[in-house]
Amino acid sequence: MLLRPAWRCLRSNRIVFCNPGEVSHAGDLFFLNSMHDHHISRAGYNRTVSKSSQSAAKPNAAVAVRPIRKVLIANRGEIALRIIRACREKGIATVAVYSDADRAALHVLHADETYRLGPAPASESYLRGDLILDIARKTGTDAIHPGYGFLSENAAFAEACEAAKIIFIGPPASAMRMLGSKTKARQAADAAGMPRVPGSVKGLASIEEAHTVAREIGYPVMLKAAAGGGGKGMRAIAAESEMAEAFTSASSEAERSFGSGEVYLEKLILQPRHIEVQLIADHHGHCLYLGERECSVQRRHQKVIEEAPSAVVGEDLRRRMGEAAVTLALAAGYTNAGTIEFLVDAEQNFYFLEMNTRLQVEHPVTELVTGLDLVHLQLLVAEGHALPITQKDVHLRGHAIECRIYAEDPDNNFFPSPGLITKLIQPGGPGLREDCAVYEGWRVPLDYDPMLSKLIAYAPTREMAIDRMLRALDEYVIGGIATNINFFRRILTDADFRAARIDTGYLDRLLAKPKTAATEISADTVNLAALAAALFEATAAPVASAQPADTLESEWKVTARKESLRA
Amino acid sequence: MTLYVQIDGRTRRIELPAALTGSLECTIDGEAMQVDVHLLEPGVMSLVINGRAFRCILDEGPTERAVLLDGKRFVYTLDDPRSLRSRRGAADDAGGPKPIKAPMPGRVVRILAAAGDAVEAQQGILVIEAMKMQNEMKSPKAGRVVRIAVSVGDTVQAGQVLAVIE
Repeated sequence: MLLRPAWRCLRSNRIVFCNPGEVSHAGDLFFLNSMHDHHISRAGYNRTVSKSSQSAAKPNAAVAVRPIRKVLIANRGEIALRIIRACREKGIATVAVYSDADRAALHVLHADETYRLGPAPASESYLRGDLILDIARKTGTDAIHPGYGFLSENAAFAEACEAAKIIFIGPPASAMRMLGSKTKARQAADAAGMPRVPGSVKGLASIEEAHTVAREIGYPVMLKAAAGGGGKGMRAIAAESEMAEAFTSASSEAERSFGSGEVYLEKLILQPRHIEVQLIADHHGHCLYLGERECSVQRRHQKVIEEAPSAVVGEDLRRRMGEAAVTLALAAGYTNAGTIEFLVDAEQNFYFLEMNTRLQVEHPVTELVTGLDLVHLQLLVAEGHALPITQKDVHLRGHAIECRIYAEDPDNNFFPSPGLITKLIQPGGPGLREDCAVYEGWRVPLDYDPMLSKLIAYAPTREMAIDRMLRALDEYVIGGIATNINFFRRILTDADFRAARIDTGYLDRLLAKPKTAATEISADTVNLAALAAALFEATAAPVASAQPADTLESEWKVTARKESLRA
Repeated sequence: MTLYVQIDGRTRRIELPAALTGSLECTIDGEAMQVDVHLLEPGVMSLVINGRAFRCILDEGPTERAVLLDGKRFVYTLDDPRSLRSRRGAADDAGGPKPIKAPMPGRVVRILAAAGDAVEAQQGILVIEAMKMQNEMKSPKAGRVVRIAVSVGDTVQAGQVLAVIE
């Protein structure tokens, strides 16, 4: 029941700590290299798909295969750890990087090699592509995996990797430029004949232009950051009077978060569902859609719960959305993993929203229902191999739900709550996966995203997956900091959520409702809590237990007391 | 040993025997109960009462202590019966200067009011950033800013006084 921090299980002799400057003469790096220098056959991968239906895509002999032996992970947190784990499974050596705030972070403790980048702020560490490339060169790294966020959608960084002859595990810079900028992606979507929400195709030059475009498409409208994601630089605007303030705050937030203040406008679709299609494409002209994820449960445009498949997507809609997504990706010369996000309205019309040219936070739900491993596929494709499966091998089975566990306080306006994790008890049992990078005794830094962990439940049906998640949340304890664990109980027991009556405004409506009587607590439970508090205080009191003999003596007393009570 | 534990504004008088593990008798507000207590590790305790099992976890935050039980979190304080501070504290809640405290650790990114300014209730006084989120700290009441206790760029701890309004 009580899990130990994972680092205690590490083979510590495999971790190399030194400064970037010391790398060039660290002879043991080559030793680490040779340790992992064994051939990994593609056949190993194929275990995840059934032999009878499986048929590898036809490779193009003109595409060179370049084996990856060492990967640098230009990220932190759970995603860095998730990538390190995949690399280790494939016998690939790993290089972690870290900021001063992350010296004791789990990704640093799990990697084969690890190097300091700089001070805590991301702009001085995880966003320093130049430092990361230096470390990659000095360590003899073949490929860089950018994870999500940070440099993952930075085309200039992808280009710098290409120039340094280091594989960037993601799409080519050209495809990233075309699809990663939201405004350019909309032009590409138009060219590919994909339906999209009316709005400005280009970034807005001024507040006046914003007024003009908004009047053309009609209020309500939505302002969005061209370079953005994760709800940063996004504002819903109900009327013209709100435009000026929203424009200023959205572009300054975009500037702060992404280094570009470019924003654009879209018509606001009422009560839309957020449904996205996972793609994987190789260098041989093959692109597959791996089903959809529904991410309608959002707060401030940040996804809170994701699931696969969507309760409202049937075979036909899935195929139409998937084929539209594949068409756009192929037209852009896209390779590796990517996601096309759609809004789906009540009449099941879908509209292109944007493309995320990277692996996404919520990729595990797709992995569970398809039985595929997306990071393994990313590595395979990045090496130049053809995809080991074709579209007819992709089948969805069961239902998966992911809860993003955040260090934030739902009872206090969702304030972030960085700090020391004094207690961590993680759930277990059937059908659970947790992608987590925190441990008991780790201090959650205030410099980065407040996500602590992703808890994913998998079961044959949606209802069973929800109940399984509720059970897991009951087992889960994170002490010392506020988290949103209890908030998930409220969502997962809500009748509308259970009936899949969700859209992107669902969570705001739930939050506006008063808490139901079901959450009321019995007096007995409070009494018990008070008793437990008294017992904790009494046992922790240092004065009372100053002499070690006391403990032993009290054991005897207890035994004696038990005996007397029995008698 | 007698302890006074306050949860949700109500204090409970809890009497414990000298030995605190195994099957023991304790009382809550004078009502006796038999409890089997097992401390698994510091901060994690198993209680068994009439065959019903409870896992209790001590949650020590920077500003408060709480017990986690049945998926719920009970913030508690220990009342010292020798002082009436808690009761007196509740009495003078109405008037007087009100501090604005940091709800979480973070950095001060903007200060929106100066000492001496007249402010409305819910008017923004300063902005704190933590974990990529900016949060405006608002005035708890209409009045005047007595002082701003921090400067732009300062790192603040949870519970730290940022400004005082009277």
